[in-house]
Amino acid sequence: PPAEGEAARPAFGDEAVQTLLRRMTGLDLQKVFRPVKTELKPPKYKLMTEAQLEEATRKAIEEAKEKLIMPPVLNEREPIDDVLAEDKFLEGTETTKYVFTDLTYSIPHRERFIVVREPNGILRKATWEERDRMIQIFFPKEGRRVIPPVVFKDEHLVTVFQQDRHEDILNMCVAQFEPDSPDYIRVHHRTYDDIEKHAKYDLLRSTRHFGGMVWYLVNRKKTDGLLTDMIHRDLLDDATSLITLYHMLHPECQSAKEAKERKLQGVDLIKVFVKTESQKEGYIQLALQAYEEAMATSTAS
Amino acid sequence: MVQLGSRLLKGYRGGHVVIRFALGGCTNRPFYRIVAAHSRRARDGKYLEQLGCLDPLPNAHGERVAGLNLERLRHWLGCGAQLSRPAEKLLGLAGFLPLHPMTVTGAERLRQRAREVAAPPAAGSPGAGDAP
Repeated sequence: PPAEGEAARPAFGDEAVQTLLRRMTGLDLQKVFRPVKTELKPPKYKLMTEAQLEEATRKAIEEAKEKLIMPPVLNEREPIDDVLAEDKFLEGTETTKYVFTDLTYSIPHRERFIVVREPNGILRKATWEERDRMIQIFFPKEGRRVIPPVVFKDEHLVTVFQQDRHEDILNMCVAQFEPDSPDYIRVHHRTYDDIEKHAKYDLLRSTRHFGGMVWYLVNRKKTDGLLTDMIHRDLLDDATSLITLYHMLHPECQSAKEAKERKLQGVDLIKVFVKTESQKEGYIQLALQAYEEAMATSTAS
Repeated sequence: MVQLGSRLLKGYRGGHVVIRFALGGCTNRPFYRIVAAHSRRARDGKYLEQLGCLDPLPNAHGERVAGLNLERLRHWLGCGAQLSRPAEKLLGLAGFLPLHPMTVTGAERLRQRAREVAAPPAAGSPGAGDAP
């Protein structure tokens, strides 16, 4: 455990981190409100003045911000193994276990009592999987199934990734699993790894999963591909935000100390970062050169 | 129709509130609802409140699912409701009430019978006397 106080290790939910991640996610209205497969209805046309159009755009931006709220990133949950009673003399009376769920409406699901009486007489608290199943049976939630769909198994995730449907599978995952369940974390990590392997970062840009992906990559120091992609698309501000976040999470690294001493901004920050931290220096230098040439030609012409 | 009305609006003399199982489901597929009702009502008739359910057949994961609305159960027990024997046994298994003595006795009897089945083929003498 670090000797400094809690402020040293920024968490996913901190204001500063969230601001940086939100800036990198972007706000492409065309993508956020792209047609979801619903019932087919003929398009509605409205005649608006300039002021009304601005008002409508502003409201659309508000709604888009709500849609882009990031799902939480939590550590994996500890398995429950708590025995409430041992009645060994009940052994042999039953052949199957009983699962008792408390159906009181007003208690939150995390505090609900779900106990299992095993055939050998032990009364224990239910495991997390049993809990999730029982809660879904008695208090069904939209988009969640009692038994998780087969698509979340590793061999089937491969097929999903080949069809470039990372966002859909992540939405399904958020609906199906709790944020601290091992399945949720596993699916998310597989998706992020696949995106990073094939450099498909743009699939998640302007969705609510972009922040989680950036957090994962920065924690594991695999930011090179993302940095290259940002520079290729001329998103220099996003690149600087990414490096700022990296420095916040790894303050002991070389480039963080240099940046703090010399108070670097913009392209210089990126250059220092590339020299000290990245593995794929060549690619990023090339991309930076191309960007600078493009800037030079556009300002010249 | 008149008969239906009088059956629903029935008022009884005497009787008390019981918490018991009401049987539902289909042929060869029972399903119990844990219900607070007047003791004089039909088993599956009009009840005061449903407090839970019990599926006696094991599901795909080999478990028998039961739901109990403990808050309302406590309310009815506080109002002076009585419990039927299977309801008491179920609540004892759940841990809400202490284990029913008949559950313990049933387990003992089962073990005794298992011992008697195993013992006589081995030893010629009659099994050790009946344990009361």
